[in-house]
This record gives sequence, C-alpha cells and structure tokens, in this order.
Amino acid sequence: MPADQDVLDRRLAAEGYLADEGLLTAVHLAGVLGLPLLLEGEPGVGKTEVANVLARVLDRELIRLQCYEGLDASQALYEWDYPKQLLSLRAAEVEGRGVGDLYREEFLLQRPLLRSLRAASGAVLLIDEIDRADSEFEAFLLEFLGDFQITIPEIGTIRAASAPFVILTSNRTRELHDALKRRCLYHWIPFPDAERERAIIRAQAPGLDERSAARLVTAVHRIRGLALLKRPGIAESVSWARGVQALAREGSSWLEAMRRSAGLLVKHEEDLALVGRHAAEVFRD
Amino acid sequence: MTERSLVARIGDHVHGFLRDLHDQGLRVPVPRQRIFLQAIEAAGPRDATHLYWIGAATLTTSSEDLEVYSPTFERWFGEVTARPVRDQESPDDETPAPGGEGDEAPFTATFGGEAGLKAGSSERDRRPVFGPASEDDRAVLSLLRRELPSAVPTVRSRRRRPARRGPWIDVARICRESWRGHGEILTLRRRTRPRRQRRVLLLIDVSGSMKQHSSDYLRFAHAVVGRLERAEVFTFGTRLTRVTGPLRARDVDAAVGSLSDVVLDAEGGTRIGASLQEFLGNARYVTVARGALVIVLSDGLERGDCGPMQAAVRRLSLLSHRLLWWSPLACDPAYRPVTRGMSAVLGSVDALAGVRDLRTAYEQVQTLVRE
Repeated sequence: MPADQDVLDRRLAAEGYLADEGLLTAVHLAGVLGLPLLLEGEPGVGKTEVANVLARVLDRELIRLQCYEGLDASQALYEWDYPKQLLSLRAAEVEGRGVGDLYREEFLLQRPLLRSLRAASGAVLLIDEIDRADSEFEAFLLEFLGDFQITIPEIGTIRAASAPFVILTSNRTRELHDALKRRCLYHWIPFPDAERERAIIRAQAPGLDERSAARLVTAVHRIRGLALLKRPGIAESVSWARGVQALAREGSSWLEAMRRSAGLLVKHEEDLALVGRHAAEVFRD
Repeated sequence: MTERSLVARIGDHVHGFLRDLHDQGLRVPVPRQRIFLQAIEAAGPRDATHLYWIGAATLTTSSEDLEVYSPTFERWFGEVTARPVRDQESPDDETPAPGGEGDEAPFTATFGGEAGLKAGSSERDRRPVFGPASEDDRAVLSLLRRELPSAVPTVRSRRRRPARRGPWIDVARICRESWRGHGEILTLRRRTRPRRQRRVLLLIDVSGSMKQHSSDYLRFAHAVVGRLERAEVFTFGTRLTRVTGPLRARDVDAAVGSLSDVVLDAEGGTRIGASLQEFLGNARYVTVARGALVIVLSDGLERGDCGPMQAAVRRLSLLSHRLLWWSPLACDPAYRPVTRGMSAVLGSVDALAGVRDLRTAYEQVQTLVRE
C-alpha cells in the first residue's frame, strides 16, 4: 500500500479509476490500518471495480468470493477432498500399509477465504454482495475479518502470513449485522458529481471529446433526476457513452445517437418510456 | 509536529467531538473510536476535509449515520468542501397524493355504495384501536397456524442437504461413515436440494374504508409471521409502515395492540398507489417482494389518479411469484371490480378473492393448499 494517499490516487487514476477524496481516504486507511473495508452504494457505482483496480495497483492476486443465498463454509473456506481420501485409503489397504493421517494438507481443498490467507505476498480479497448471503454466513466471517485467521478443527488455526486487503460490497438489500460492520471501515459510494463523471467517461471511452462527454453527463444527471425504477450507475453511463460513440461513427447525429441508445442507460421498459416522455428536456443541449 | 503530537494536541477537541456524536445519537463503540484515533495518527489529516473523510470511514457504519455525523463534524471542525451525496433510496415520504393536495377527483365507484367516499387523503389525529381477539377468532387463528405452512408455495433450495433419495452422491458422509467401517462403504448416501417455503409478503390497507377489517387482517398477519419461515408485513393508508417486528410478539393481542403506536395512519385516508410506489422505491423492500407470494389486502378504493396504483401493482406482479388481491368487497357475490382502481389493476393480479375476516381468510388459505 502506498504510504501517501496522493500516490495511491495517482496509481488508481493510472489504472482508469478516478476515486473521490472520501473513497481514497477509506481505501488508504484500510491499507494502512489493515482493516477490511465495507463499501455500499447503488449498483453500478464502482464498488467491485475498486477491488479489481486495487489488485492491479498493489500487484496482488485478486480472489473473489461471490455471495449468494445458501453459501456455506465448505464453499467459502475449505473442504476435504473426500474422493482423494477414499482412494488413498484403498491404495493403502491394497499395499498393506498404514494410511496415516487422512486430514493432512494434501487432502485440503482451499476455497477463496483460505486461499487469501495463504497467498504468499498477500491478496486482495473481494467478498462481493455480502447482503445476498445468509445472516449466519456473516457470523461465520467474524473470526476471519477480526483476526485474519481461520480455525480448521483437524489442522488448527491458520493465520495470514501477509494480511489480505479485504473489500466487502453490499447493495443494502438487507441490513448487515453490527458485529460485521464493527470490524470494517465503511464508505458509501455516491453517484459522482458531473465533473468526476465526465472524467470517468472520458477515461473509459477513449476518443470522446470534452463537449460530447459534457452533453452525455448532463443528460445522465437529468435522467437520474426523473422518478425512475432504477437510476443508472456509472457502469451504465460508460456503456451508454460507448454506444453513442459507436452510433455516431456510423453517421447518426449525436443527439439521435443518444436517443437511440438510451436502452444502454436505463434497463426498465417503464423507465425507457419515462425518458421518452421527457426526451425534449433530457436530450436538449 | 509529529503525528503522535498531532493527536495529543487536538485530543480534547476530538474527545469532545466524539462525546457530541454520542449525544446526537450516533453511538460509536470504543474500539471504533480507537480506530478513529489510530487513523488520525496513521494518515495525518491534511485539512478539515481529509479529517472529515477519516471520521466518515471509521466512525460511521451506514449512510444514515452520515446524517448525524456531518452536522456534528461541521460544528466542531467547521464546514468541509466535500460532502457525501446522500443517495435517496426511496421516494420522499411527503410525496403528495396522486392528483395533488386537496384534489377531490370524482370517484366513479359503481359498486359498494358509499365505500368510495370514505377514501380520503387526511390522517386522523387519534390513535387507532386494534381490539383483542374473541374466542372464535382464537379458534380460527389456531386452524390458520396449522394450515399456513403447507399452503405456502415452495421453491427448491440451492443448498444441498443429506436425504434418503437424491440425485447427488454425498461423498463426505460416505467417507465419514466408511472410516468407522475400516474403509468399507456399507451404504450409499445421497444429497438433494430440499424444497422450502417461498417468502410471503402481506400489504395491508388500514385506511378508513377498511376500518372494520383491519384488526382481523392484522391478526391474520400475526399468524403468518409466527408460523412461516420468511414473512414480511407492511401496512399502508397514507404512508407505508413495516410492522413485521411488532407482530413477532408471541401473544396475538399484545402484538396487534402494540401496532396502535406504530401504525399512525390507520383509519385515515388512502393513497394506495403512492404507498405501493414507496414500497417499490426502496431496494430492500423490493428484494422482499422478489419471487414471493404477495397478498394485498385492500378494497382497492383509490382516490384521484389511478395511474400510479396501476403501475405499482403491475411491477409488484412482475416481481412476485404470485400476486393475490384480497378484498372485503369481493365477499359479495354481486361484486364486480369496476371501480377505476380495481379495474385498472385486475390484469396484473393473479387472483382476486373475498376476505373480510379471519374465517374468510382461512377459507382462502385452504384454497391455496388445493392449488
């Protein structure tokens, strides 16, 4: 982790991620203090991307645990390779020798959490959409997040040689436990202001001139102001910018291209109809 | 100035700030306060804005906390140049009723006598009284509790469980057992994906026109919350209120009685469309409705513009597994859903049924079992 926040800022920007000061401070502190970072915000504001970019910036392996309802320890932590154990048992029987310890390292299947502890030079561990997992799973994570260690009954406690940089993301589809939040730094990623979004779009859609980016971002902000079922995130505005660029290259006027590709920005039929009804004010210069 | 002396120098100020945060309602546990101080030492704040973000990352645990944190910080350290944009997760509670305040659009109910005229926009001042259950009610509630678990539609779980029959071999269990038999596999164990109840969401209309049915509906909701694995209950009149928590109390009278303090818009006006849109505007609530058995208990008498109600019900229908509409008016065999509100939503509803009390609710639950 760069010792200076400005260096971190420059290195994230070099990877195409333009973070505001709040997010930069949170990421920097998570690295310096060695604490997990919980990121919340609406879908598409760049929560997952932070982990992707950090892995590149820190030159560490990115290990991702995608959470879902029903996720349990054997899928997140470790599992014993039972068929291998059984074959070993059979082989020992045939050869007439003792089988030895069946719960040794070679029979251990490492899942993302254990892998992140054992990564030699540390890893960036992304625990994505923790709100989708059962609440019991949060309780299960507490030992890991608190001390970066895991207890395997047959082997003992495994501690991280080099603590992983842990990022948890949540879309707030349910309230997380206080015990989990207490162990993490917290940052809410808001929609970016117009200036930052222009810069992000220009970084992600090369070749876009300043004026076109400004027109796109103005339209995006006007659309976010409508009573939509789902307000578009940065990911959507970037893909819209790329779509508009593609249509403009084929000969469409810029405004026409914006109208035609509005489906890249809003993904509900009702929202598209609403944008259509406000087309005159949304797409005007 | 060293970093440690920085903390020492602003120590009193920081402790005063932390005490003030506590007084303002943001109770930060001591370990987090310590992390805040460590963060100040580690990062060495450049200016007030930087200090603001250090505090935001270490002292808050949700975007709501920022609403307390930001003004308190400003009082102690002055205004900062950067401020988090509080993203609105749900539409404003004060959204005016469709048609606007004071809009008394003509109501075109052609059935139900004066029922439509009872649907107003005002909230009444006194507390509603949800009365105790009678002996008959308790008998029906007991029947309901028995029937409910088997009546709810199920979905196949993603999580595999040990089972007598199933498409997957349970190697882990076979191996564990074979250690005891010196490596011999005596029984082939299997796993399957068991079925589990779908989530149930009740949206209960507690407006003035539903006054005589509200208590029974809430008692029904108490049985649902107490008996089913995953159930959520909301009431609506002029606003939306989540009442799942209070309904978890064991005794039905205590649970329903406590709602008098929570449901402040009962026996008042009706804003079905606005209330349902408030529900759908909250991402957490939308998750509750996704794939669920959704039951709306309402007479559907909407005042003013029915467009928002139609749009909200359509979206609820798309989100849910099944959307049932239980109306007291439909108990009358002569009932025809021709009011503007009901006729508009009828196409989105899987079934419209008559439920006016616990007995009729029980009959409908039995119908669910048969389906």
